[in-house]
Amino acid sequence: MTTMRQSVFWNKVNRVLLYLVIAILFIVVVFPFYWMIVTSLQPQDVVMNVPPELWPRHATFQNYIDAWKFAPWLRYFGNTLFVAVASTLISLATSSLAAFAFACIDFKGKEALFNLVLSVMMIPAATTLIPNFLIIRTLGWYDTFYALIIPFAASVFGIFLLRQYFMSMPKELWEAAQIDGASRLRYFRSIALPLAKPAIVTIAINSFLGSWTSFLWPTVVTQSQNKQLIEVALNTFLGDNSQQWAQLAAASVFTTIPIVILFFFVQRQFIEGIGGGGIKG
Amino acid sequence: MDSKLTPAQRKKVIRDNVAGWLFTFPSTLVLFVFTFLPAFVVIFLSLFDTNLVGKMDFVGLGNFRELLGSGDFWGSVLRTLYFAAGSVPVAVAVSLLIAVLLNAKVRGRTFWRMGFFIPYITPLVATSIIWLYIFNPGFGMLNAALHFVGLPPSRWLSDTVSAMPAMILYSTWHDIGFAVIIFMAALSKVPTELLEAAQIDGASGWRTFWHVTWPMISPSTYFVVIIYTISAFKMYTQVAVLTQGGPVDSTTTTGYYLYQQAFGQMRFGYASAVSIGLFVIIFLLTMLQRKVTGRKVFYG
Repeated sequence: MTTMRQSVFWNKVNRVLLYLVIAILFIVVVFPFYWMIVTSLQPQDVVMNVPPELWPRHATFQNYIDAWKFAPWLRYFGNTLFVAVASTLISLATSSLAAFAFACIDFKGKEALFNLVLSVMMIPAATTLIPNFLIIRTLGWYDTFYALIIPFAASVFGIFLLRQYFMSMPKELWEAAQIDGASRLRYFRSIALPLAKPAIVTIAINSFLGSWTSFLWPTVVTQSQNKQLIEVALNTFLGDNSQQWAQLAAASVFTTIPIVILFFFVQRQFIEGIGGGGIKG
Repeated sequence: MDSKLTPAQRKKVIRDNVAGWLFTFPSTLVLFVFTFLPAFVVIFLSLFDTNLVGKMDFVGLGNFRELLGSGDFWGSVLRTLYFAAGSVPVAVAVSLLIAVLLNAKVRGRTFWRMGFFIPYITPLVATSIIWLYIFNPGFGMLNAALHFVGLPPSRWLSDTVSAMPAMILYSTWHDIGFAVIIFMAALSKVPTELLEAAQIDGASGWRTFWHVTWPMISPSTYFVVIIYTISAFKMYTQVAVLTQGGPVDSTTTTGYYLYQQAFGQMRFGYASAVSIGLFVIIFLLTMLQRKVTGRKVFYG
């Protein structure tokens, strides 16, 4: 009896320890976000205090107002949203069409073409940076939205993932649709696409996040202020206000919030997309 | 075409071919122009001394000769390996610890997991800014914390010795969530019967982990190690925001060196040779990864 009571006791201690360790790690990882928000609410003279003040005793929204007024942020948000939505929609359209053809239609050279498309995975973006800059200039797309959208208008990841989905659909469905006289495009639109919704969501999130957080490519191919994307604009803001920590924190907060909100809505799909569906939340 | 086909069948074959090529055309065109073509253009450019606006002198393999003898290039490779050696083991250990803890039937798992994952989806520029403030040698939170526990302060990003460790700290923080997710998925696939059998045999939790769980999840461990090493070679944004490669090149990794040579020095020919060097490194790492784990990798 005593041993059992003892083991119950130790189990409880273990549980408490478990939560304690998780909580400590959690606080360490989340702290920079807390600090970002606290700093954004402090008056500028307080943010250089030693030691730092952990709680904003004189919270103010002035930093947000000042940071917001400093640059045309609305324009940057608009640009980023436009580029993110456009590249997501176009790449979804092109990849799903291609994936459907690779999965469901017999055409000459299909295998060869598919292998060629897959081999694109071997070429990292860092290697194609310079030639793509040259190609964009040659096309006359330097400093245009085309440069920010069209290179991302196809996705090997998307083609691969959607093809798996389309191939797993029962063949009878396709045959029945053909007997009913449905065209390929019609079957694709009204049957195949809706069934592939989980894959489409995964691809859309990846593409959208990719555009929203992109930095190097827009730095290389755009120049004028009215083409600027949010992350590049934020880095410029950093360059212009390198010691204004409270304003910098405020700008970091308002440029990050949209992506965090989006993440709250799609986190399950996104995480399962990475983990391969092996984990349930 | 087979002459035994009925006219209706023949029509279907033709239509299939037309539809197949039509449907794949948009993707193929984009991939051709922005991935295949560049792969050849980069080889072409690497044979020239060019600033892309006028000067275009053929130098043969001169850029590669310079590359192989360049202390700056090999220095950047070594720094990248230093970054990988400093960040990957820590990332694996910490993310595995978090994944094991979260897999122990804890309450509020979704909430915890989201917290550990959120740095990974937040933009590098925005989070680098707050870390610049945290790293500040004068009034930053990190030195305040060191002072609190009685340790001497560090100059973090402003010192050639501590800049890379600081870069490692930031990057590990930012990317840890990805490994947590991979490990959580791997752990959930370890058969519980195996763990129970080990426990019945009297193995302690620690022994069960080392002799059952660790070998079972090893493909995921290799996957994480190689993916993180590859991303070290591609790293650019946090270097640009936190240090611009400094102080005195101490954080100039290969990805940043490539950018510097191209868009800073306007040496596009030489930078193309660096691109090819980078490709070879990433290609070898990918081959290693495929051989060991058999997983397909998608580059961003």
